[in-house]
Amino acid sequence: MDEVKKFKGEKVVLVNIWALWCIPCVEEFPMIVDLDKEIKDLEVIFVSADYEEQAESVKAFLKQNSVGPVSYIKKEKDEPFITGIHPKWSGSLPFTVVYAKESGNIVDSWEGSAPESRFRTAVKIAMNS
Amino acid sequence: MKNILVLFLIISFGIAKELELGSGMPEANYMLDDISGKKLSLADIQGKYGTLIIFSCNTCPFVIQWEDRYVKIAEEYIPKGIGVIAVNSNVGRFDGDDSIEEMVKHAKKNDYNFPYAQDQKSILARAFGATKTPHIYLFDDNNILVYRGAIDDNARNANKVDEPYLANAIDQLLDGKPIKKPISKAIGCSIKF
Repeated sequence: MDEVKKFKGEKVVLVNIWALWCIPCVEEFPMIVDLDKEIKDLEVIFVSADYEEQAESVKAFLKQNSVGPVSYIKKEKDEPFITGIHPKWSGSLPFTVVYAKESGNIVDSWEGSAPESRFRTAVKIAMNS
Repeated sequence: MKNILVLFLIISFGIAKELELGSGMPEANYMLDDISGKKLSLADIQGKYGTLIIFSCNTCPFVIQWEDRYVKIAEEYIPKGIGVIAVNSNVGRFDGDDSIEEMVKHAKKNDYNFPYAQDQKSILARAFGATKTPHIYLFDDNNILVYRGAIDDNARNANKVDEPYLANAIDQLLDGKPIKKPISKAIGCSIKF
């Protein structure tokens, strides 16, 4: 979450928790990457919930989707990881949190995949919050 | 103002509202389609001292890692008066990997010793606020929710579990003690409503 704070006052931050085994995560992943490329004031932070020994496969997937150079993989046990991301998140994947550009506060979060319009609406609101 | 309304709507529907501890069992008489071919409800499988509902499915990697413990929990606690059922609410996959036919095969392959039933239209999952598989709900003998969350803190290896959340909760329930950790969390697959 320190990484999120770095962008306060500069960019909207969108954190997406995903995993290689999670089909809805992998399906929506390229759309999020495209949004990141398209919207200048948006910083997307991907956090993989895959196991650490899958790091090479995760890296390959990130490379294939032109994500980099910085991305994250879960190291803690599930409960502190989930609570640290968002206290109300149940642990269902994918999970997305959008932080406001100016205040750095959470303006939206959702469990499960969502249509592109949902992402765009949240980012638009976060731009002005 | 319009933006505020949109934001409110988004926040309202962003994270499902889970059943609160102390709540009664919702939709207890709603009829499910069990792999035996019979219809049954949560009321039908209610145990003398409590009832365990596991939202599950056939394909989620976390279900596959944890389901050996479904069987052990059922083996240990059904004889002690805990009713156990696994409920599949993945309506979006009922015509594929989570069809009744696949559920029958899955249960047989994994030695399920408890009912495994389809939740048509995800009625139960919505009523419970269940979002993922596995997602656990434990009720006491009065059908009051006393525990919800995960089975334990190590999906991959039952021998390396530090906290067997669910087994502890059932033991405390059976001993008439308060549940020390009534809520736990773990990563899981989203329910395909």
